[in-house]
Amino acid sequence: MKQNNYWSPVIAGIILGIALFISFIVAGQGMGASGAFARATAQIAYTIDPDFAKNAYAAKYLHSGDALTNWTAIEVVGIFIGGFISALLAKRIKPEITRAKGYSSFKRLFFAFFGGILVAVGTRFARGCTSGQALDGAAAMSAGSWIFMLAAFGAGFLVSFLFKKQWKGVE
Amino acid sequence: MDNIVLPLFTSGFMDNHMNLLLAIAIGIMFGFILERAGFATAGHIAPIFYFKNLMVAKVMVSAIVTAATLIFLGVIFGYIDYNNIFIPSTYIYAYLVGGLIFGVGMVMSGWCPGTAVTGIATLKIDAIVFALGLFVGMYFYFEIYDGYEAVRELANSHNLGRFTINKLFGSDDIRVSYIVTLIASFGLLAFVTIIKKIIDSKGEN
Repeated sequence: MKQNNYWSPVIAGIILGIALFISFIVAGQGMGASGAFARATAQIAYTIDPDFAKNAYAAKYLHSGDALTNWTAIEVVGIFIGGFISALLAKRIKPEITRAKGYSSFKRLFFAFFGGILVAVGTRFARGCTSGQALDGAAAMSAGSWIFMLAAFGAGFLVSFLFKKQWKGVE
Repeated sequence: MDNIVLPLFTSGFMDNHMNLLLAIAIGIMFGFILERAGFATAGHIAPIFYFKNLMVAKVMVSAIVTAATLIFLGVIFGYIDYNNIFIPSTYIYAYLVGGLIFGVGMVMSGWCPGTAVTGIATLKIDAIVFALGLFVGMYFYFEIYDGYEAVRELANSHNLGRFTINKLFGSDDIRVSYIVTLIASFGLLAFVTIIKKIIDSKGEN
């Protein structure tokens, strides 16, 4: 795992912290991710059925008819570009399904999909994810972010035995 | 204090158009760092839940401590208007329930929304499928939020507003928030390191 120029965790964390600080002093907010997926979903639903603008949750995204002209939605496009550039330079772009040797791809993708559903619902209750809530909130010294972070890692740890086979030997 | 100019956007020193333009640059920086930290694969994220590899905790804690320190210094020296730093309102029950659901989804999938974007950029099929799940989950939430009073109630009750850590101790001093943030961050890292040592010594990993 030490191969191909990954940064050491502490160096990566310090650089991430500086980037986060830059985001705070420029935009007044930290980097996010889940909000972009929520907005994109609302926009798709609205494009299919304009009545969706009346949805009690999505209405706040859709009042102008454009949910995607938004800081986080635009920033997420940047995450994609930045991730791509870094991986391209390190020659790490290749299609794969990360799972334990011999583990069923179908089961792995089912868990990825169903996990995605749960993560999405979790972010809506918690107003953010590991980025927008845990990382940004804790850095900005919010108490609530610690509730979220401890609940998320605690719950993940408690049910982790159910998914152990999927990750066996994975690095 | 008239030397307060930060944050540029929320203090009115930069227009919305410029802010949205810079959002791309900030995102590129974030994506690049996530990939370099090794977070563009579920194989580096899931092991934190088994205490096999503490990389996620080390990155999170160093980032939180670094950013909190810089924010703290900026506020103390009068360059940053702390009230213009966005902090989502704290809803205790919603955060607790949201966190529990989120954590289960994370160990199941090996992804969270931000890292998955870099996973998609590097062609991880499981990240792409996870993102499809995110869309379905978002839509599902919109529907249950719209349809059930109980969901809206759980999501919106007990709003403590912009609840910074000092308020927990009845203080309005940012120094309290900063010190507790340091203790909590390093405490968390110490805790997971000890658990890892115990698990390793039993040879279960």
